[in-house]
Amino acid sequence: MPSVSKRLATGIAIVAFAAVALAFPELAPNPYILSVGIVVLNYAVLSTSWNFVGGFTGYISLGHGALAGLGAYGTGLLVTKGGLPSFVALAAGAAIVAAIAIPIGYAALRVRGASFVIVSIALVLVTLLVFQSWASFTGGSRGLNVPRPFPGMLRPEHHRVFFYLFLALLAIALTVWWLIDRSRFGLGLKAIREDEDKAETLGTPTFAYKLVVFVVSAFFTGLAGGLYALWFGDLDPIFQFSILTGSYMVLMALLGGVRNLFGPLVGALIVGSALEYFKVEFGNTPLHLVATGVLLALVVLFMPDGVLPALGALLRRLSPTTETSIREVTAGEVAAIGGEPQHAQSRNG
Amino acid sequence: MRSLETVELTKAFGGNLVLDKTTVSFQHGKVNALIGPNGSGKTTFFNCVTGLIRPDSGRISYAGADITRRSPHAIARAGLGRTFQLCRVFPRMTVLDNVLAATRPRGVNLLRGAGGRKETDRARGWLTKLGIEHLAHAEARNLSWGQQKLLELAGVLMSEPETVLLDEPAGGVNPALLDRIGALVRDLNAEGRTFVIVEHNMDLVMSISDHIVVFDRGRPIAEGPPSLIRTDERVLGAYLGA
Repeated sequence: MPSVSKRLATGIAIVAFAAVALAFPELAPNPYILSVGIVVLNYAVLSTSWNFVGGFTGYISLGHGALAGLGAYGTGLLVTKGGLPSFVALAAGAAIVAAIAIPIGYAALRVRGASFVIVSIALVLVTLLVFQSWASFTGGSRGLNVPRPFPGMLRPEHHRVFFYLFLALLAIALTVWWLIDRSRFGLGLKAIREDEDKAETLGTPTFAYKLVVFVVSAFFTGLAGGLYALWFGDLDPIFQFSILTGSYMVLMALLGGVRNLFGPLVGALIVGSALEYFKVEFGNTPLHLVATGVLLALVVLFMPDGVLPALGALLRRLSPTTETSIREVTAGEVAAIGGEPQHAQSRNG
Repeated sequence: MRSLETVELTKAFGGNLVLDKTTVSFQHGKVNALIGPNGSGKTTFFNCVTGLIRPDSGRISYAGADITRRSPHAIARAGLGRTFQLCRVFPRMTVLDNVLAATRPRGVNLLRGAGGRKETDRARGWLTKLGIEHLAHAEARNLSWGQQKLLELAGVLMSEPETVLLDEPAGGVNPALLDRIGALVRDLNAEGRTFVIVEHNMDLVMSISDHIVVFDRGRPIAEGPPSLIRTDERVLGAYLGA
């Protein structure tokens, strides 16, 4: 159960982040920095959306880039071909992605572990092929231009509006993640992550649970992709349906901590900023990919639970606590309950 | 009254025939034991009955209904709960959440909070009954083997099964805990729960069982009350020894 001090620290961190985020457009020295803020927020929404599946169920999808691409193209095509207003197209595009996620999830979620990862990669490759080849509808390799939703607006103002839109979307995604986290549904999802067969034998309909959360995840990923399309205005299938997008989502969530509400956000702040830095400093070299790979290796080796849990553990070590360790149960108490003294050999962990 | 019944249940792994047209039944409201040498098919039988493994052929029925092709969660909801030979808990979840995870989802409100007061009280009640309530907020992975065994049992009981399948509940637990588990089984049986227990500890089996089925090479070779099984020639030859 979270202690009062932990809740207070979390509350202060949320308020501080919200204050900085709300003030960021005014603090940003130029439109470029503001656009970097939007890219980072876009990553944060994408990674949080990925974490509905990855964080709750432990299923590692590298195919969420395809869902973001479908959201972007869905929104773009509904505006350009369907003539829908931009934000109606955004909602409809995300709904279409969620609908497409049902058959995808129905097939993909029947397999676990490495098999699921491979199926998710296949999704990216198939969608890339379709959107590149179907040039008459998608624009193919020439790309797709999506009209701006606010045509007369100057670029700095355009960035400012979209910064707040992405911030609002992030807030909604985080709220839904939090609601699921504290729900019976969330408990079932976490049980799947821990031991799917065991969860099944306790009566949890694991497949239905996984499918529902996959569709929720796809919806938010589609929204993030669609909002990006309205902001950026220029879609190219090679970037929209990239295995890298999904990999970044995984890396950000792992870096921040997949079991933590704010883990993907923290990961996005670090990785998103670092990616932009590398692109500015080293241009079109693959150095940012090398740095990403090194970062992933470091996280897996030294912080397998992510930055936030590592920070939490560090703070716990540094601060005196009145909480009683379970190892401090006396021998008499253990005997009274018919248990046995704990010893390293008998523990799983 | 028949509780759990199989007819010609067959399962092979490659060329290894583990269940060989197994026809067996367990009695409702009783403490049943399933014993036999290692590799005689006991755990595979549990896995088939609870839906974790699909049998190659044969029929499984519970309380008169055919459950052969049902999913594990549907079988659990039909009233069959189980523990595992190698104790399985949700290691990174708290002890309390481990038990709450076994509550039946009710309704379609996915965002309904986990662990309402009533459910939490019931979960704590099971933890108290099993003597591990003081560990409610510890992560399950930090518990000893014996405590994890108790936690696994608490989770299964929280799911309100009519019939509980226990796979080697005495494996790796100390004598005091063993007595506690035996007494608990007896108490819960007195309240109306049916048990089917796979176990190698013959003292426990003989002391708490009403009915014993003995497996050898995937087939039942004997069944009856403990007094009969103790002296059965086939059982002595295949398992218990002279």
